[in-house]
Amino acid sequence: MTDRVLSDAYPEGGLWRLDAYLKSGGYEGARKALTGMKPEEVVDEVKKANLRGRGGAGFPAGVKWSFVPRTADKPVYIALNADEGEPGTAKDRAILAHNPHAVLEGLLITAFAVGAHDAYIYVRGEYEALARRLEEAIGEAAAKGFLGARVFGRDFRLDVTVHRGAGSYICGEETALLESLEGRRGEPRLKPPFPAAVGLFQAPTVINNVETLACVPLIIRNGADWFVKLGLPKDGGARVFTVSGAVVRPGLYEIAHGTTLRQLIFEHAGGLRPGRTLKAVIPGGMSAALLRADEVDLPLDFDSLARSGSMIGSAGVIVIDDTANLLVVLNVIARFYAHESCGQCTPCRLGTAWIRKVAGRLVEGRGGPGDLDEIARVAGGIKGRTQCPMGDGAALPIIALVGKFRAELEAALHG
Amino acid sequence: MVEVLINGRTVSVAEGTTILKAAEQAGIDIPHFCYHPAFPPDGSCRMCLVEIEGQPKLELSCSTVVRPGLKVLTASPPVLAARRDILEMFLAEHPLDCPICDKAGECLLQDYYQAHSFLRGRFWEAREKREKLLPLGRRLLLDRERCVLCTRCVRFLQLYTGTGELGVFERAVRTEIGTFEDRPVDNDYSGNLVDLCPVGAITDADFRFRTRAWFLDRKPSLCPKCGRGCNISVDVVCGYPLPPRERRLYRIRPRENPDVNGYWVCDIGRYAYAADLRDNRRIQAAFVRNGEETPVPVDEALARVAAALKAAVRGGRAERLAVVLNSSLTNEELSQARELFVSRLGVKNVSFADPLPGQADGRLLTAERCGNARGVADSGFPAADLNPKTWAEGSDAALIFGSHLLDAQRREEIIAGLAKVPFKALFAAHPTPLDGAVDVIVPVSLAAEKGGHLTNVDGRVQAFEPVWPAAGDGLAESVILGRLREELG
Repeated sequence: MTDRVLSDAYPEGGLWRLDAYLKSGGYEGARKALTGMKPEEVVDEVKKANLRGRGGAGFPAGVKWSFVPRTADKPVYIALNADEGEPGTAKDRAILAHNPHAVLEGLLITAFAVGAHDAYIYVRGEYEALARRLEEAIGEAAAKGFLGARVFGRDFRLDVTVHRGAGSYICGEETALLESLEGRRGEPRLKPPFPAAVGLFQAPTVINNVETLACVPLIIRNGADWFVKLGLPKDGGARVFTVSGAVVRPGLYEIAHGTTLRQLIFEHAGGLRPGRTLKAVIPGGMSAALLRADEVDLPLDFDSLARSGSMIGSAGVIVIDDTANLLVVLNVIARFYAHESCGQCTPCRLGTAWIRKVAGRLVEGRGGPGDLDEIARVAGGIKGRTQCPMGDGAALPIIALVGKFRAELEAALHG
Repeated sequence: MVEVLINGRTVSVAEGTTILKAAEQAGIDIPHFCYHPAFPPDGSCRMCLVEIEGQPKLELSCSTVVRPGLKVLTASPPVLAARRDILEMFLAEHPLDCPICDKAGECLLQDYYQAHSFLRGRFWEAREKREKLLPLGRRLLLDRERCVLCTRCVRFLQLYTGTGELGVFERAVRTEIGTFEDRPVDNDYSGNLVDLCPVGAITDADFRFRTRAWFLDRKPSLCPKCGRGCNISVDVVCGYPLPPRERRLYRIRPRENPDVNGYWVCDIGRYAYAADLRDNRRIQAAFVRNGEETPVPVDEALARVAAALKAAVRGGRAERLAVVLNSSLTNEELSQARELFVSRLGVKNVSFADPLPGQADGRLLTAERCGNARGVADSGFPAADLNPKTWAEGSDAALIFGSHLLDAQRREEIIAGLAKVPFKALFAAHPTPLDGAVDVIVPVSLAAEKGGHLTNVDGRVQAFEPVWPAAGDGLAESVILGRLREELG
């Protein structure tokens, strides 16, 4: 399949060793950028490619880079967000495991583009083995002169530090990640100022997701046009989807933007098990609003999903079939956010706890339809009023669940 | 200047002003818990959300800076709905123990509830159980059930004192304020945490369960414990619910003054000064013979002092009187004293005895530990040397205002010096170790019990009024000096 650009690079045995990566054309993009392009040209190329942030927000990476002030008297930092914690998402894990050098090469090109000389990779605490693999890859790259004091023999320095998180969902939020990197409690910062202006150690900082940066070498190597053609004009490239739940072949699928959710579930992931029917899909990690079975003909890209009232998010697709008790689904979602709220702002801290308490009661059979309205009302009180996007992430799936699956939930209450 | 429209009214404010402050300047109150004018915006309580025309979501008024032409609504239906939701969430996990909470009556949560919701409770789940009585250090006690996690206390200790004793621990609904490994809050500004707390989470062991906020009469005054002249509120109850004619001081709190003390007062001003005012006061004048005190009416005591002065004048020995003043006297009292002792009587031996200077702490507390050192310096008083052995030698009478001779000199030496003087009068607010060595003791007022002007360390002259009259028969030095002047004619 032509749209497998990241995962084509995972032949038998993996590509995590530098020599294998080099054989596949590795670090050619970085060489091209650092030896033949100006930083602004790199930014423009990535802008043209419409590479949108794979962490979930979908903000165009090139545009983000262009916000970094060029004349600052402070250093510019890069924070690579490898704190993959969105339930239903495991794409960064695969990329880091199989192709760490693609991530490092992307990091190098980004550093060159924004003028950064120090990069931090914030790796999810549970990804201990991946952190070690990254350290190894950094060692290999430094030995070859791809990182360190004089990259490609040029007067360009890049030092990369791997930092392991301690197991908090919120540290995947970019400003909480910065707080955590600085050694403080992982809580989102008040914005503005945005990290591109005031980020790590009060200096301009670019924060990108693993998958986003892994795409950068391909864009530089093959050109922005190639990347745009792979996907959609406003949403270049392909996306690594994590499909889990009630499908025959759960796993990672790298498919081009614009493929429909139905194709992903029924063609790529092998459809549902025999005799089962589709009930609901969470299309973009647990923070995305649930879709009904009749909503799966949507093209998978940032804008189409946003128009549907949900989001492509981190491309974690959770498939729910007719054997699932949606009250249990409700409770699982409620418990997760009530557990992971950082506790900083009121609606998220207290709203998620309230929802969790009611949902816990419902799943134990102590409650009625009025409690469903209560849950949706409290979720509505969180939505749009929190310090960071986690509030919306906690509220939207709850609101969608109660709004779209009311009959099923009520039936489960009585069952 | 930037012009913005708040609730349809044009408000003109300086560039860089936040919406919350702009509204405040226009007399529009936007409720908030975490915002405090002394600190950068925090944004965590989400109470101050307002509607900005053209914005899809409500925005924080505490951190959003005004732009020309901004149209802000602070009481539109979406804003009120958001506030009610936030209040409801706070109240869901709040113990609602207002009837026994010291903050009741001056609690933001209570005030906002009254102003914005009066909703019936819709939270039927079990509330979290939390620590209700956690000593934080010094006099502070934390009730985690009441805490709204505004983190004002944490930020005060980080940003103002720099001591950082408190932190935020745990997460989600279990999030709590606490100390690090049980190391207590221990700095000289700890009492401010009680005022900063918008609810009754941090309480003061000194004030706890003593009275209700609505009985308090908050009287403005100045703190005389150092040269800063912090503006304070002396919170007192006179009469109901106390028995008739009874009066009690309950606490001292800072009054906001950006030019002097900002929003704060140190623990010396808050607690030590309150103790000065409250505890162990001398309330009656006395004659002393052989170390034994006999209470007398204060007028009688003053008459005896005046008689001694007159005798000295008659004997032509007035200039050899020994007078010890102190730097807590008001500017008015200083000029009265100068007029009486220097101009009228020609006394050569006028000196000052004050608490020993300490370390200035770089915040409010100054090196001098008396309220009007700068006023004394500015008054041009010819202060004599206070040699312990000779200061009173050859005097017919010694007039001693205050007991701070003891700070620089040993009691035995002072008493030995005093023994050579035929008549000694002591003017003091508390019993002192010199009491047995004088002939007359007159009780005097402390700063809160008088009015006048004090000059602070920066030369700022501040006026103040008495909170109430002195304890017992105590008189302000201004009254004492005035009476003596009258008697001398």
